Amino acid sequence: MRHGKYPFIIGFLVVPVALYAVFVVWAYIQAFYLSVYEWSGLGPVENFVGLENFRKMWDDTTFWQSIKHNIFLLVFLPLITVVLALVFAFLLNVGGGHKGGVTRGVWGSKVYRIIFFFPQLLALAIVAVIFGRVFGPDKSGMINGLFPESWSPWLFLADERYAMGCILVVLVWQAVGFYVVLFSAGMGNIPTEVYEAAAIDGASRVTLFFKITIPLLWNTVQVAWVYLGIAAFDAFALVNIMTVDRGGPDGATSVLSLMIYRNAFEFSQAGYASALGVVLFFLTLTFAWVTLSATRRESVEA
Amino acid sequence: MVAPAASPAAPAPASTVPLKRRRAKADDGVITVGRSRAGTILANAAGVVFSVLMLFPVYWVLNTAFKPADEVLALEPTFWPTSPTLDNFISAFKAPLFLKDMLNGVIVTLLAVAGALVVGFLGALSIARFSFYGRKAIILVVLVVQLIPFLSLLIPLFLMLQSADLTNSLIGVSITYLVLILPYTVWTLRGFISGIPRELDEAALIDGCTRAQVFWRIILPLTGPGLVATSVYGFIQAWNEFIIINTLNSPDKQNLMAWLLQNQTTRGTAWGPLMAGAIITSIPVVIFFLIIQRNIATGLTAGAVKG
Repeated sequence: MRHGKYPFIIGFLVVPVALYAVFVVWAYIQAFYLSVYEWSGLGPVENFVGLENFRKMWDDTTFWQSIKHNIFLLVFLPLITVVLALVFAFLLNVGGGHKGGVTRGVWGSKVYRIIFFFPQLLALAIVAVIFGRVFGPDKSGMINGLFPESWSPWLFLADERYAMGCILVVLVWQAVGFYVVLFSAGMGNIPTEVYEAAAIDGASRVTLFFKITIPLLWNTVQVAWVYLGIAAFDAFALVNIMTVDRGGPDGATSVLSLMIYRNAFEFSQAGYASALGVVLFFLTLTFAWVTLSATRRESVEA
Repeated sequence: MVAPAASPAAPAPASTVPLKRRRAKADDGVITVGRSRAGTILANAAGVVFSVLMLFPVYWVLNTAFKPADEVLALEPTFWPTSPTLDNFISAFKAPLFLKDMLNGVIVTLLAVAGALVVGFLGALSIARFSFYGRKAIILVVLVVQLIPFLSLLIPLFLMLQSADLTNSLIGVSITYLVLILPYTVWTLRGFISGIPRELDEAALIDGCTRAQVFWRIILPLTGPGLVATSVYGFIQAWNEFIIINTLNSPDKQNLMAWLLQNQTTRGTAWGPLMAGAIITSIPVVIFFLIIQRNIATGLTAGAVKG
């Protein structure tokens, strides 16, 4: 495969590379360029302001509020999702005990796998509409409807103390199934002899989980953590559709991505929105890099 | 998790055999070495409870979609439609723009998936089968870009498409979706192609195939399951997307997701038709998911070298 490979390579790669160069690389260059202009989004871009947009951001309380909410999601979304997914993947694969030399999952683990994966198939738009009903603030809401008439209904998304928590619940609900399947695949690669040897030595489920599953699955967990963290930086769709006044009540659910969208397409602040986009770009990359290097450790081979 | 009576932390060697036999009996043939029966019950209970939590919202959608309008808004919620009806589905289909938006969604999704498959297959082929200068850089850029929230690109994207006169057009949206699903397509197909043994290529070359024939007759057919898997994933992505199409296009050129959201805000409490619309919208995705399930199970190139 040595002779004349370059014509093939160039021919095959020219379209994807060109698409990338235009739609991603050039788009990012434009975003960086626009971030140093004050620009409404219409007409010529000529009012160069240097770093003024970033200084404005520094003084913008909505910005800090949004960052706070993104950090809230960044901490709890990966944590809760990974823990739940690990526990259930473990139950599905090795939780059911040991029969005839085969380590089994709990009863009906195949059905569970499909059930857990189901939310992943639903579009965010649909998920948001559904959970709008789940968190309905009156008796017609699903959760409030479950309680007797005499209870005063919970406000959920309309209560600034719990609104962000509701968003977190939905994000976890949607994400967890995918990671159960991902971790299950990883656990499927761990030889059953390892579990059996430990089980014969008297290891309990909890010991198996912490001493065998987690160390052997570390790389997958790491990747999951990064992906979930990045999802926490986005969260635009749910916040945009579900929350009161979009980002409300009173900014209680505003996130960075929502600020970008509203500044760009509603407040005619495309320059400022681009600056926010630049911040989002660096925050995401920094997070991914920090997570990957901070959690690096010798991977254990099965 | 651990019931004291049934968890020997360090069983003495002499008592191991009778202990095992005794507990084997209690567990109906399940030899739980170092595991407790209570733990097993707890594990199963946790699975059931969690499944109910995962399914409840979906069940509620189905429940609402088949209820007549007066029952949907009843203050006493009923857990099963007392007089099931298809009215909600009919009114969803009759709703303005529903069929048009459905068609738009189909067009945009098919264009994007077909484009991504062709472009992605060729890209994956060169990454998987050739080593060349800049190969690692391409892989890295593809992976990194996939990570960053797409929203920070929405403004430049809008401007570029506007200058090319591609806003408010299905073509513009299709190209954007193509770019959106391309990294995953390239990455997954690369994996599938790397799984095809190079010996097959070499054998075909020795037998007198040209390199183009090798791609066409050996690699393409063997990548079949991979092409199905990636196109299903691409389909789900493009079909479920609504932020881009909503931003780029005017109301008459939206897809069903955007329709759904539009109707949620304008028709407030018409939950029945809305939920029926959500079900109709999800059906293709669920069907394709079931297809991909079976295909992944068939195995990739199993038997290709053996024969």
